Amino acid sequence: MQKYAVAAAGGTAPDALSLDLIYTPSFAASGQLQDITDLAKSLPYFDQLSKAHLSVGTYQDRIYGLPFSADSSVLVWNKKLFREAGLDPDKGPTTWAEIRADAEKVDALGNGVDGFYFSGNCGGCNIFTFTPLIWASGGDIFNADGTEATIDTPQMRDAVAFYQGMVKDGLVPAGSQTDTGSNFFAAFATGKIGISPSGAFAIGALNEQFPDLEYGVTFLPGKEGGSSSFAGGDNFVVSSGTDKMEAIKAFLDYAYSLEGQTLLARNGSLPVRADVAKEALAGLDERYLIAAEAMANGKTPYSVVFNDLINSANGPWISMLNKAFFGDEASIGPAVEEGQAAMQSIIDTAG
Amino acid sequence: MSPVLDTAAGAAPPRRRRRLRPADRLHRALFHLAGIIVAVLFLAPIAFLVLAAFRPAAEAVSPPLPPWPKAGPSLDSFARLDAFGEGIWHYAGNSLIVAVATGALTILVSVLAGYGFSRYRFPLKGVVFVLILATIMVPFQSILTPLFLVLAKLGLQNSLVGLVLIYVTLQLPFSVFMMRNAFDAIPKEIEEAARIDGVRGLKLLLRVLAPLALPGIVSVGLFAFLNAWNEFLAALVFLTDERNYTLPVMMMVVRQGRFGSIDWGALQAGVTLMMIPCLLLFLALQRFYIRGLTAGAVK
Amino acid sequence: MSAITGQALAARPAVSPRRSRRRRRDLAGLLYVAPALALVLFVLPLGMTVWMSLHNWPLLGLPRWIGLANYKALWNDKAFWRSLGFTAHYTLFATIGLLGTGLALALFAQGTGRVVALYRTAFFLPVVIGFASASLLWAWLANVDSGLFPALFEALGLTSGRVNILATFDPAFWSVTVMVVWKMAGFYMVILMSGLQAIPADYTEAARIDGASALQRFRHITLPLIRRPFALALVLCVSGSMLAFDQFYIILAGGPQNQTVTAVYWIFNTSFVSFRLGYGAALSMVLLVILVALSVVQMWLLRDKEEAR
Repeated sequence: MQKYAVAAAGGTAPDALSLDLIYTPSFAASGQLQDITDLAKSLPYFDQLSKAHLSVGTYQDRIYGLPFSADSSVLVWNKKLFREAGLDPDKGPTTWAEIRADAEKVDALGNGVDGFYFSGNCGGCNIFTFTPLIWASGGDIFNADGTEATIDTPQMRDAVAFYQGMVKDGLVPAGSQTDTGSNFFAAFATGKIGISPSGAFAIGALNEQFPDLEYGVTFLPGKEGGSSSFAGGDNFVVSSGTDKMEAIKAFLDYAYSLEGQTLLARNGSLPVRADVAKEALAGLDERYLIAAEAMANGKTPYSVVFNDLINSANGPWISMLNKAFFGDEASIGPAVEEGQAAMQSIIDTAG
Repeated sequence: MSPVLDTAAGAAPPRRRRRLRPADRLHRALFHLAGIIVAVLFLAPIAFLVLAAFRPAAEAVSPPLPPWPKAGPSLDSFARLDAFGEGIWHYAGNSLIVAVATGALTILVSVLAGYGFSRYRFPLKGVVFVLILATIMVPFQSILTPLFLVLAKLGLQNSLVGLVLIYVTLQLPFSVFMMRNAFDAIPKEIEEAARIDGVRGLKLLLRVLAPLALPGIVSVGLFAFLNAWNEFLAALVFLTDERNYTLPVMMMVVRQGRFGSIDWGALQAGVTLMMIPCLLLFLALQRFYIRGLTAGAVK
Repeated sequence: MSAITGQALAARPAVSPRRSRRRRRDLAGLLYVAPALALVLFVLPLGMTVWMSLHNWPLLGLPRWIGLANYKALWNDKAFWRSLGFTAHYTLFATIGLLGTGLALALFAQGTGRVVALYRTAFFLPVVIGFASASLLWAWLANVDSGLFPALFEALGLTSGRVNILATFDPAFWSVTVMVVWKMAGFYMVILMSGLQAIPADYTEAARIDGASALQRFRHITLPLIRRPFALALVLCVSGSMLAFDQFYIILAGGPQNQTVTAVYWIFNTSFVSFRLGYGAALSMVLLVILVALSVVQMWLLRDKEEAR
């Protein structure tokens, strides 16, 4: 779908492409992308486009990326297991304490059932599903322009301790510790996990591949309530020096039309244009609406060295989390301090 | 080294069949017991993998205890493996092209060079020979970074041709050395006789000498093929377009899983496909393989 | 080596004395060798490594001369030195495991006879399957949910419940090392056996009759004769282990917590994940110097023993 769209937009050569939104700053910084500020501002519905996409699509006050597809992070729970554990199957947890309590109850079912699952050795998965816990509690991991790491906060320490507590009490399967993302979706899909942070993509995937699994979707909560989400997906970017701006504009007009947004939604992405979102999702699984709302309230961290900091399998983010999630209480402090220093040093080296 | 070998061969005492004493018999039984246990230990991982690859989808997620398919063998895993990217045969084809091309080009280059070094005299010959052998001292892992740029400049990055050139280069020190020795071992009289019959130059090499050096050629080709078939790091770095992936790199994609789930059955099927050609080639050409290994060892 | 060839050539019936003919033969020789020589030019990037290491060299954008700054940064790069430390740690244990097992297998399977040959083939089979295949196989066998080892240990009552053996350093490190020994021991068996088979049977027989114990026979007859293949095996094993990558990348992804990132792995990350090509080149230079130094030391040891014999 994306390849087709891109080919349609730019003829054969990749004059334009869709790019994981998180990498827009680093590509823009390296001078590979075309400044499309004027094109963007000329769109009549510009102020309806996903703010999160535009925030990472902007580099030094110029726009280089426009929203193309969207995926938000949410919390999913297994309704059947909730029922068996004596919990209300229609009510998802809304605070950390509730997650913990529900997970314990489900875990007590035994028989290979675990309360909670997360990919404990996957940087990308945890920026997607773990950071929202911090955001919803009032913390953040970078400052606005990504020049400072703000890892070492009480919110971070609390959130890590929250996960660590569940690991220690055996609510999380042993495989989590070495899961580099290969089990991110599959673990919950087995039907033996009570609660798991996941993404909007999982709704389509579960419905299609595991139609018998009963599950609910809710927001990722903060410590005492509130909620947040990682606004992910792809940005539409244009290679610098292209001469096909006409075709590109025509493509965008179509992509952002109700028809385009509906087509997008049927292919598993959330809409990126707010004023037609509801209509585009009409007739689809209602749980998408929750994911779309999460998207609207979502955030996207901004960094030109995102890959080195967060996604790299050996980067400081996942090293810190893995150490802290699966260590003891005393290990949280040093791990967070080390992570803060390592990330700041990478930012400084690049800058 | 060689005189010792000769003595060993010449002085081997004739074997006599004696009736074994009970102690010897026990000793022998223990020896074979140990032999069988250790051999089974060495073969077990391979056997587990191949057996497990034929389990149906429902069994593929559980531990291989027992490893064989309980509900009868199934090709599920292979079918799911084929759903990755362009289909597994596409990647097997890439690997085969790279391995065959590496084998062929290595043979061509090293036969020519081996013949040149063995039969001709030219300026700086010693230096050139040592230069080729010395490249074995430079592990290619340490020149990956510039190699990446050089290939990009030549337009050979992300291309199977570029990969083949690298693999052939890596094979050269061993192969040229092998072929030089192989030609050195051919008596000059044969060549003289052919020369008198008017056979010269390339024709002499191809028609008369190459058949005589065939064992060496097979060793060189076998090593080149297997090493190219199995190589991982260079393929991982230099191939960026998924369509060009060789089997090991493609299997790494399978191992990482897609959309947050990993298909162990497909992985078993893929690794089985990667291993089988190596095992068959080795079993068929064992003699040449070991000879190549020990020839390398003796230097 | 070239001396031998020279002799052989000199001993041949005189080639035509005409100069032009000889020059043509010179040219022909060069022509035969030329393709090999052309490919060896691929090694010229070695010089380029040095050049690149003096730059800030991103993948996109222009390289910038920064002199020795990469080397200065490297001096303080804890992650790099830790990766080198781990590589040395791994090399030590892998070498002991491989040469020990290889020697034991060689002593065990040195006999003649068809059954023994079968044993040898069995021990050797894993050698031919390639590191990537073996590592992928092991990644599965060691997996906590679907693999063999955790389930087997549980079934045997060695652990209570299934333990994720790849989650903590010691079991993760040892399972990889065991994989390497399983895969490569047969290789060292063959190398060492080339020395053992050179031992005349009547030596050992005579020694046995003289009443030498098994240990004495090993110490005074076997050891001296396998010294040379042993030294070769040592060189191959050490340099091979110092360059380890596949197994740690595929099975452990450098984990747990980056404790098994080897030197090559770190260079790979720097150059091809972070795309700091200049810095990666500087790291490569350091690794290369270490490897050459190790080789020289080992060659020297090898030569020393040769003369002592």
